Amino acid sequence: MSKQPAKRPRAEPPGSAAAKRRLGVLVVDPLAVVRAGLALLIDDRPDMEVLAEAGSADDALEAMGRLRRTRVVVLTGLGLEGPHDSFWLIRTLRELFPAAGIVGCGANADPTAISRALFMGADGYVDKAVDPIEFLRCLRKASEGEMVLAGPPMEWVGAIADGIERQRDMELKLTEREREVLVVAAEGLTAREIAERLGVAERTITTHLGRIYGKLGVSGRIAAIRQAASAGLVTVGSRE
Amino acid sequence: MQAPADTEARRRQPVLRRVVVVDDHPVLRGVVRLACNASPTLEAVGEAEDGRTALELCRRLKPDLLVLDLLLPEMGGLEVARVVREEGLPIRILALSGRTDGKVVLECMRLDVEGFVRKTAGVQAISEAMELVAAGGRVYSADEEREAVAELGRVARHVHDADGVASALTPRETEILQMLGHGLTMRQVGNRLGISPRTVETHIAKLYRKLDVRTRVQAVARAAALGLIDLEDR
Repeated sequence: MSKQPAKRPRAEPPGSAAAKRRLGVLVVDPLAVVRAGLALLIDDRPDMEVLAEAGSADDALEAMGRLRRTRVVVLTGLGLEGPHDSFWLIRTLRELFPAAGIVGCGANADPTAISRALFMGADGYVDKAVDPIEFLRCLRKASEGEMVLAGPPMEWVGAIADGIERQRDMELKLTEREREVLVVAAEGLTAREIAERLGVAERTITTHLGRIYGKLGVSGRIAAIRQAASAGLVTVGSRE
Repeated sequence: MQAPADTEARRRQPVLRRVVVVDDHPVLRGVVRLACNASPTLEAVGEAEDGRTALELCRRLKPDLLVLDLLLPEMGGLEVARVVREEGLPIRILALSGRTDGKVVLECMRLDVEGFVRKTAGVQAISEAMELVAAGGRVYSADEEREAVAELGRVARHVHDADGVASALTPRETEILQMLGHGLTMRQVGNRLGISPRTVETHIAKLYRKLDVRTRVQAVARAAALGLIDLEDR
């Protein structure tokens, strides 16, 4: 089966100037049905088109590398999991393609997830529940670098701003390795298991953990994980 | 369904909500007082001209609604809101502002200020906003919400940029930037750090690349804008 969605026939050839002016969209979501639905919606508009679809962060980066377009928006679901999750993808995209618009998309994402997406470099968040016209309008705005927030209640704006600052504080306090250790620790692994996972000595892990507790001003692992969770660094429970 | 007569009567008997207003301008206090007099649900119980007095009134009178000018002598309106929240006083707040400024609106949202209305919105709009907020509603206009979201974008981008640049700069480079920000020449920087002016130049060339600038002034301005250095003299 082809990965490309069925395209509505267009008047002008794909390589023409008119085609290049259209807003190109890269659709990323772990669920094929969601990708297909979004592609139908986007391809129905005369001023935008789906350039590629991806079901994982790595596929998305590969697809992005192949695109030769100036105006591109990446529409990514926040439900990608594993070490290369949606937030990793957003950060990597932001570093590699600073000019691209990036919009996070989810179903009832909580303020922490939204602030994490923004912190990583997304230009906004659009809920899957919003009206299709509004949804498309947000993609256009994001392609111009404008911040978009559609779906979440406006009461969340303050909490989202707080979340962004909490994450910044967390990132400034901890080294990358310490954050990595904390993320694995949040899975409930013992120091020995963390050490095995990261390929270092158990002693190294206990040293890291001790240093993390000191920096966060907490006395133990649960408190450290709770702080990391409120900053969106680790996810406790499911994202969507 | 028809409500029973006694419930209906009780509904007509409105709950009086107590209002404190803070504004250094007597005209605006007058507007709020008039709005309270005209409203069956609002009762003006106190007035203050500055932030400090406002806070004392809040602690003493425990009003239901605080109508708060954001530009106040002694203690700013946002500061008053912050203390009210920190002390956990059960007071709903309607902010009065001279203009819509994304930074201020977002700050109000972060402080859980329930309403935001511009002074230029007019007497009618202010009194409606007071009733709504006092009754448990939330009042932010579409313009204000848009401004707040745009500001949220600036906050995110700022944090993101600063984060990226900060992790790219070495501690020595940040140190040199800070000295340049305080107006030291390359030679002075070199002397202070005990390195040659030539080495300072090399550091600065790298700094320019990382900050994506071409002059020292641009470098300092950009670093200050990202919050990497402090331009205050100490």
